[in-house]
Amino acid sequence: MKLVLERFTHNALALLAVTTILFFMFRLMPGTPLAAFINENLNADQQQAMLEQFGLDRPMWQQYFIYLGNLVQGEFGLSFFQRRPVLDILLEVLPNSLILTLASLIIAYIFGVLAGAWLAWKRGSWIERVAVPAVLATRAAPEFWIGMVLLALLSFNAGWFPSGGASSPGLAYTNNWQRIASWDYLHHLALPVLTLALYLQGLPLLLMRSNMLEVMHEEFVTMARMKGFSEWRIVINHAARNALLPVVTAFALGVGLSMGGNVVIETVFSWPGIGRLLVQAVSVHDYPLAQGAFLMIALVLALMNFVADLLYMVLDPRVSHGRKG
Amino acid sequence: MRKLKVAAALGLAAVGVAALGLATAAFAQGASERVRKINLYTWPQAALPQSYQASQLIAQQWRQLGLDVEVKPLQRQAQTQLIWFSRDKWDATMWRMVGRPERSDPDEFLYSLYHSSYAEKGYNFIGYINPEYDKLAEKQRTQLDRDERRKTAFAMQEIINRDQPQAFLVHPKYPLAFNKAVFKEDTVVNQSGIGIRNIWTFLKIEPLGAQKDLIINSNETINATNPLYIGGAVDSWVTDLIWDRVMRIGPDGMPQPWAAESVSWADDKTVDVKLRAGMKWHDGKPVTVEDVIFSFEAPAGDKAPMYKPFVTDIAKIEKTGDLGLRFTLKQPNTTFLTASLAKINLIPKHIWEPVLKDLAGKPETAEQLKEVSWIGSGPFKMVRWKPTEEILLERNGEHFAAPKIERWIMRIVPNAEATLGMLKRGELNFIGIFGGDPEVLVKFAKENPDIAIRSEVDIGFEYVAFNNRRPPFDDVAFRRALSLAIDRRLMVSAAWQDYAIPANSHVSPVLTFWHDPAVDQLKTGIAEAKKILKDAGYRVVGGKLYYPVGKQEKLTTE
Repeated sequence: MKLVLERFTHNALALLAVTTILFFMFRLMPGTPLAAFINENLNADQQQAMLEQFGLDRPMWQQYFIYLGNLVQGEFGLSFFQRRPVLDILLEVLPNSLILTLASLIIAYIFGVLAGAWLAWKRGSWIERVAVPAVLATRAAPEFWIGMVLLALLSFNAGWFPSGGASSPGLAYTNNWQRIASWDYLHHLALPVLTLALYLQGLPLLLMRSNMLEVMHEEFVTMARMKGFSEWRIVINHAARNALLPVVTAFALGVGLSMGGNVVIETVFSWPGIGRLLVQAVSVHDYPLAQGAFLMIALVLALMNFVADLLYMVLDPRVSHGRKG
Repeated sequence: MRKLKVAAALGLAAVGVAALGLATAAFAQGASERVRKINLYTWPQAALPQSYQASQLIAQQWRQLGLDVEVKPLQRQAQTQLIWFSRDKWDATMWRMVGRPERSDPDEFLYSLYHSSYAEKGYNFIGYINPEYDKLAEKQRTQLDRDERRKTAFAMQEIINRDQPQAFLVHPKYPLAFNKAVFKEDTVVNQSGIGIRNIWTFLKIEPLGAQKDLIINSNETINATNPLYIGGAVDSWVTDLIWDRVMRIGPDGMPQPWAAESVSWADDKTVDVKLRAGMKWHDGKPVTVEDVIFSFEAPAGDKAPMYKPFVTDIAKIEKTGDLGLRFTLKQPNTTFLTASLAKINLIPKHIWEPVLKDLAGKPETAEQLKEVSWIGSGPFKMVRWKPTEEILLERNGEHFAAPKIERWIMRIVPNAEATLGMLKRGELNFIGIFGGDPEVLVKFAKENPDIAIRSEVDIGFEYVAFNNRRPPFDDVAFRRALSLAIDRRLMVSAAWQDYAIPANSHVSPVLTFWHDPAVDQLKTGIAEAKKILKDAGYRVVGGKLYYPVGKQEKLTTE
């Protein structure tokens, strides 16, 4: 329990640091949000009024503490440009980003873990000689390129999938849940998920493979062999369980990382997610929205980090036992 | 003692060097008389590939005159910050003016781009000051006789051609596309200088079969759907359809009565308007004279700064009957029909009066209210708006010009190539803007016989802005030379891949009535440019350009 609390504090501190860096980073960037309000009709007084309204006329440290105070109360502020609460804007697109990320990761990791274990087992065969370079290639290929190739092949030419967006033009849903559960949404989700999964599967696959290779030389595996267990049983029950540990960590961190890294996929597939929102917010100096979006990503990252820590404790008792000793 | 001698010798030597320096200076016009390095600002290649390519070509051509030129790409925001807000800190920049329906009247470009009153803050960011031009700019506004006004417009174009306060490059040509298997081909309307993406098309386009929705793309999100504020380039595509105006710019570029049965000049300061009978707001209430008067009075305060300039010329508005009203202007203004009557959105008083009252005394303006109400009286009604996904309008069957399509749906598609896939699959059936290479779109249409392409030369233009405030750009000869050094045909073919025509006027050739053909014959060429510089006293020494004798460089390149 003490350990859980400790890990929690770590993550909370990390979040505070992220918040602080974000806050100052955006304000130290060249340019102001006023530049986007390019308008000959705004006179100096009106510009000043606008600065005051945004709170940008106060000293930066004051702005910072006001911002922190609001954050603690769950108040992310108003977007300069959309004039709506940042939280509303974020929550509108967050489900899309989470679904895209989680679906891709789950597919990538299930495939990666199984294929990695299998490839380790096939060490030295021709399969390995073909598969490993192929995996490395998909991992090295830029996401947008994979996305464009898939779009060209499966959408433009074969016509199996829509070319973008999250639902067909003009379709209305009574609520977001209904939309997410619809066939139409899943149909739109397929290509972006496939692209992201293709991009992501390399890491768990290679990680699993090298872990397996290591584990398979351990004494307990030799022991199992001596006991006369079948090869599959050894792979699944003995080797794979142990090789899985680092993959779990990678998965949890992957959720956070790919949340923010979806900008490219979201742009290629016109997917209404947090990444596109972020890019747009940064380019027009919409500080509250950009900070909110980054913070949301950091929050998911910290949360998943925490989950990974907890999972690790469950999966590998040595982590918590070691502390006690 | 010895030290002293050394010092004396050094001193002598220093004097000698200085003398030698002076001598070489006199011979070579001196280092301080050399024209400093010129920074040419541009957009990043990824943002606007054509402009970027053009800036590289221009730099090459200027270097041939003996200039040091550095091409500096800046992100849009940073560029705006520098060019617009620090008006004395730059030399030359790539810039563009975009075409809009209300720019079909040449006044906006004729007046705001070069009138001295706009130099400090407005559109005349290049700082061109010419009292002769100012007078003509003001004069053309008072000339109700079109032929007389045209003479003035020609004279203004000739002054700009003579002074070259900036170098015009091209008027771009934008190909747009639609699916002719979905829509009857001849019901698509081309608006001159704008193209087929215009309200007339959206009203008249006729579905052929079961697909009654027009699905159009946009590459950027809508910032605001507010009748008192345009927050981004595509915002007006939507506001145009929801809110009516007293007049509209017709497909021919001329204003025509819209929400009015008639609009007429009683004298050069008085305009009489008779509204159409039976118009209704989307909430069912009738459109009254009071609503119209309110719509023109609302921007007069400080709550709609973007629309304020379009009503400042109005002295008073009176009700003259159930459907009649009379505008009295402070001074004769021939552009009033285009710049005000065809620009101001008609808004319902019963909704907006309380909103504006509530804003009184606060720093906020109505611009900051992203969406107050979507009640207009226009041919389409707003149904739904998802900022990063789509906006959905529905036909207003009760409108006097009710559209033939059922719904107007705009999808936000940031990926230009994906728009082609969508067009092929029917996820889109109208390309409202194409961010990719125009050639790709045209090729795509050739391979897909259902897709029709329409190209139109733009009212807007691309140019190199010179900072007229700073030497050497304060010298007409220098500006002319730099402008003539640019080969427009090369620009058109190498940078714009022939999707443009050469430009040398702020009045596009598509505005056939107002464009002065005399300025089209700009004789360009490096030889011509060199001759101008030489005649003005500039000298080239060791391949570098020097000011005429007596003129010295005072600035350093930043």
